[in-house]
Amino acid sequence: MSRLIETHSARNPRLLLFSGIVAVLLTVLVGGLAYRQLFKAVFYNERERHQNQRRVVIPGPRGNIYDRNGDILVGNRPRFSVVLNLAELRGEFRAEYKKVDRNFRKLDQGERPNADQLSRIARATVAQRYLDKINVILGRTETVRSAELKRHIDQTLLLPYVLLDDLAPSEYARLIERLPVESPLQVYTSSTRYYPYGSSAAHTLGYVGINNDPEVEDFPGEGLPTFKMKGSTGRTGLEKLYEDELQGETGGAIYRVDPAGYKVDLPIEKRLPVQGRNITTSLDIDLQLAAETALTDPVERTGAAVALDVRTGEVLAITSKPDYDLNSFLPRLSNEEADKIAEDGAWFNQAIGGAYPPGSTFKILTSIAAMRSGKVLPDQPIIDCEGVTMVGNKRYYCENGDGHHGNILLPEAIAQSCDIFFYQAGLLTTVEGLAAEAKRFHLGQRTGIEIPGETGRMVIPDPEWKARTQKERWYPGDTANMAIGQGDVLVTPLEMACFAASVARNELFTIPTILHHPDAPTQHAPPIGLTPVQRAALLEGMEGCTTHGTAKTISLANMRVPGVRIAGKTGTAQKKVTKDGKTGNINYAWFICFAPIENPEIAMAVVVEGENIVSGGESFGGGTYAIPIASAVIKKYFEKKAAAALAASEKFKIE
Amino acid sequence: MLPKRFDQARPFATLGIILLAWLFVSLAVKTFTRATFFEIQAPLVVADSYVQDLQTFWSNRLHSKDELLKAGQQIAGLIADYDYGVQQNKNLEAEILRLENLLNLPPMPAFRFEPARVARRDFSGWWQRIVIRKGKNYGITVGSPVVFAGGVVGRVTEVYIYTSVVDLITSPTFRLAASVTGDSRPLSYQGGLNDSFKSPRGTVEFVPLDIFANSSSPQRLVTSGLGGVFPPGLSIGEIKNLEPSADGLFKNGEVALDERLGTLTEVTVLVPLNPEEF
Repeated sequence: MSRLIETHSARNPRLLLFSGIVAVLLTVLVGGLAYRQLFKAVFYNERERHQNQRRVVIPGPRGNIYDRNGDILVGNRPRFSVVLNLAELRGEFRAEYKKVDRNFRKLDQGERPNADQLSRIARATVAQRYLDKINVILGRTETVRSAELKRHIDQTLLLPYVLLDDLAPSEYARLIERLPVESPLQVYTSSTRYYPYGSSAAHTLGYVGINNDPEVEDFPGEGLPTFKMKGSTGRTGLEKLYEDELQGETGGAIYRVDPAGYKVDLPIEKRLPVQGRNITTSLDIDLQLAAETALTDPVERTGAAVALDVRTGEVLAITSKPDYDLNSFLPRLSNEEADKIAEDGAWFNQAIGGAYPPGSTFKILTSIAAMRSGKVLPDQPIIDCEGVTMVGNKRYYCENGDGHHGNILLPEAIAQSCDIFFYQAGLLTTVEGLAAEAKRFHLGQRTGIEIPGETGRMVIPDPEWKARTQKERWYPGDTANMAIGQGDVLVTPLEMACFAASVARNELFTIPTILHHPDAPTQHAPPIGLTPVQRAALLEGMEGCTTHGTAKTISLANMRVPGVRIAGKTGTAQKKVTKDGKTGNINYAWFICFAPIENPEIAMAVVVEGENIVSGGESFGGGTYAIPIASAVIKKYFEKKAAAALAASEKFKIE
Repeated sequence: MLPKRFDQARPFATLGIILLAWLFVSLAVKTFTRATFFEIQAPLVVADSYVQDLQTFWSNRLHSKDELLKAGQQIAGLIADYDYGVQQNKNLEAEILRLENLLNLPPMPAFRFEPARVARRDFSGWWQRIVIRKGKNYGITVGSPVVFAGGVVGRVTEVYIYTSVVDLITSPTFRLAASVTGDSRPLSYQGGLNDSFKSPRGTVEFVPLDIFANSSSPQRLVTSGLGGVFPPGLSIGEIKNLEPSADGLFKNGEVALDERLGTLTEVTVLVPLNPEEF
């Protein structure tokens, strides 16, 4: 029997077929490899990064807001906390897990916690162990909230876990001295907004709210899973208007992480957050505090006060009461606080949002209009005030003084605020003349100040306006009412401060600004157009008002500003309101002024709301309620000026 | 008989086996071994230190009688000065005690002063640690502050029977709560990365923005006393410059430390009398 010997031929067609198949498969394999390595490299690289890298974003602190003298009105306060770096505790977590698991093995299968629960217990135990070290150092008895810890691990594992927040300086000092430098426990600082003057200028400065999604600009790793630390964003006031300037530059880091999500090693890329730009306001905190104190002491009143630098239009003080403490918004406003603010009506910024009848302060405008029209001459009486006059078929009374001013001249009519004189002056000037003059002064329109919330409800009425809005014709009585700042005339306190500054400069309008420029030039607007005699009569009347007229209380010992001549005009206006089913008038006590007369530097408008709804009128006068506020601010202004001059002269002597 | 090549590699194999075995030894054994090694070594360190003292003694004996008399006179003068200082301190302590009682303030933490000689200082860790010639035998405890004439030296980190290890103020692992003279706000002082034989430096963080310092008008940095370890007012150094941090919240700066820290021979350990207060 012959033995069969297996032989191979190099050209065996079956082998060729097999080789072909192998070659095709290898080609597919190499092709696939090349495809992935050459064409899909970027894609896989990105996926690898996505899987292994995490980005932490830290918002930059906001810029500061200063007053004109460099005092901080809004700043950032460091917030110290003690944190636990969980990435360094993985070994301890594992060891604790085994220990906990061993302990629970004694229980029946059904009673035993599952792996997730065991892990949660282990982590909380380890974290508590570290917190106990802190408790010993600080003498506290804090406990770890395991649900919060779990949420942190699930959602923001890369960020350190905050064990205790908002530490006192002494606590932070104890911790930095007692905790080893290289420990999972570290003292961590973050910033929070800080308002050193609490409620001062609250409406103007505004508040911030928490921003859970801070913007990230020009920071690499856009597609990476990102953990964002909470930032803040301006909600009202300057904080809102200058959000872009104040908002800091976001910083952060990119970390490589292990499959469990814990960071390994130092960050691959890191950028420190940078503080936002600072803003210098035109406010003078001393004047602001003087106005606010005067509005609240001895009784807290509802009202507003605005003080302007006559030359530049910069707002020196702007206050609205009631208000709220800006620090109560940090970290967030409680419901109780919010309810209280709403109940007090403190959200409302009266200085720019409140439109009120200006009352007798409007008589300055009526005087200017009447003199410019040529219908009233400063040295000629226009009516004999006997306390009452007929306009149309209706009796109009003089509500000021004893109501019998006689053949009074314009300066004294301003000083004594004679209503009868101004009814007649208004009628002689005509409503068109009054309205045109008011509009020349930019009354009845927004001032354009850089504070959000300026109302557009101010009104300078005329027949066309009345026909359009009330579907009624204009009566002579409307003109008489308008001439004394009643009827439908509505202005804001800021508008009236601008008006006072304009009169002080003998110009038509003032553009107010809340921003301070050290070298701001004097504003210039077209002149009012009064002759020197008319101007002198107007100033005589306004000064007379503060020396012996309706504003003479400002000359009393406790309110007098020594050596400073003040031009002013009081006013009391009524506004019809219905509150709690009761209809009546709310009184508004006004005072506008500027000083010193010979070279005006500061102009003011103050309005104070009466407490009760009344049926009559003049029981709540500007002379009594508004003047103390203006006096306090002007006094402080000139005190500061004198102190600065003294300091400068002493410095000169030393040098 | 083992092949020649293996025979040559035997030491390495033995070392490998030992290292492998060491890996599996429990942590307790390792700690014990390390501590024991240090304790065995300690008498040598102390003996070496005494020998150095003896050397100094004999070298001093080479001085002439005149020199020794002059030195003795100088020392007598210094002693008189110090005696006067001690008397003043006693008066001040009595005054502080009176004020504490008057204001119902809790007493300041009390310390026992334990002078100790520096026994060893490694070149490799010149600015990190020193070994002093007193340990448990003198009641030294871990965490005790260590001072010298120029202020803070460091803190005791390890205590053995005859020796203690002091973590120096110049070490990056040393941190304490400091304050600028005349300002009560706490700052964080930390040692820096110091090169051997160069002027020692540290860093200061969390400095409020209204504090200013530069080389021409430095600020004196002292212990704040708020940390609970160091008593207040001990000198740390001088802040020579301050730069605002990037986030604008604080300033950071550099602290120039006392040059004498590089040549320490004698220090004082402040042993707390009531450790439970700390």
